[in-house]
Amino acid sequence: MTQTDAFAADLLRGNTETIVLGVLRRGDSYGFEIHKAIRDATGGDHEIKEATLYAAYRRLEKDGLVESYWGDESQGGRRKYYRITDAGRAVYRGRVDAWIATRRIIDTLLDVKDQP
Amino acid sequence: MNTDIHRLLDEAFADVAMTSDARDLKEEIRANLMARTVELESTGLAPSAAARRAIEELGPLEELLGTSPAAPSPEPMAAQHARHKVRPRPGFVVRTTLLSVVASAAAVLAIAAAAGGIDGGAGAVISLGLISAVALGIVTGDALAQETTVNHPMPRARATGWGVATFAAIAAVAAGGAFALDTGLVASAIAGGVLALASIGLFAWLGATQTNRGKAWVRAAAPAGEDHGFADDNAAARFGLYTAVLWTVGIAVAIALAVAVAWWWCLVILAACVAVMMLMIARMLFARGADE
Repeated sequence: MTQTDAFAADLLRGNTETIVLGVLRRGDSYGFEIHKAIRDATGGDHEIKEATLYAAYRRLEKDGLVESYWGDESQGGRRKYYRITDAGRAVYRGRVDAWIATRRIIDTLLDVKDQP
Repeated sequence: MNTDIHRLLDEAFADVAMTSDARDLKEEIRANLMARTVELESTGLAPSAAARRAIEELGPLEELLGTSPAAPSPEPMAAQHARHKVRPRPGFVVRTTLLSVVASAAAVLAIAAAAGGIDGGAGAVISLGLISAVALGIVTGDALAQETTVNHPMPRARATGWGVATFAAIAAVAAGGAFALDTGLVASAIAGGVLALASIGLFAWLGATQTNRGKAWVRAAAPAGEDHGFADDNAAARFGLYTAVLWTVGIAVAIALAVAVAWWWCLVILAACVAVMMLMIARMLFARGADE
């Protein structure tokens, strides 16, 4: 992994909870599906480790931002689904606003010009 | 089916104390690993290699198990009850309304038939009573599978159990009514007695074992180590066995006495069973000094 990759992975990891909330906003989902959605969105270049994701689910659930329920027994065992709560949606919107504001500040500080 | 995943998962959790928390996590990971393994296999990987790869991708489990979410919640229980309450779905409301109308209509017609307002006699009473019983059984089971929230529905088998118990109770009334109309219908009387006994036994068992404790939020809110109202797991298992034995013997004796002596003997036995059951609950669940 190059230094650039490590930097990008760090940024991504720092936003794990918000990213998970973003995925769950589209509908209830379970671990593998969430992991896959993140992997697909990054084009497979970066991914968030599954252990990191499990830790994020537990923190989110503890904070009441998501709730979980067990799905029906399928061929693949019992899946634990997560659903975003209203509190989770509110936190998500707040974090997205903060991200946009911070991105603008960092862009200014790093002197990033708009790419064509 | 790829069984390697189960073996590897057991190895990964070999040194972990199996709290309910760790067990939940293991089950959650299992389902996700199986999905990932299927995906890896579809890219041409051999099953055992796919299983190993999926486990490796998981990353370190230690950091996960260290962070337990089971810390007691400061939120009061009543507030949590309010927050976790889920409103019924429209489809459920429509279903229940329609079935209730069917059940009521059938019950009214059955009573009319019993009173002689409608031709058909005992046969009409039985068939209309059965229609009513089936409809109300479905309403009951449906309501229970639904009401306890979308997140944590009552297990389907248990909800079905409540539905069957309801059906048996109403069907017993219908059978008894038919027998009252036509005392020649001994089979109907016996069937009614058996149904009534089965219904009471099933209701008692379902009621005694009914619990909120399986829900994730209740587990999270409960202090660690306090999983059920019994002194320990053995006491809970003993209670289940005593209940099964009591009702099996009680129902057998009741049927035997009803057939051999007189039908009302089954009521006596039943009352005795209920009394013993209550005493058992009082002694085992609310034992003096159990809270200290």
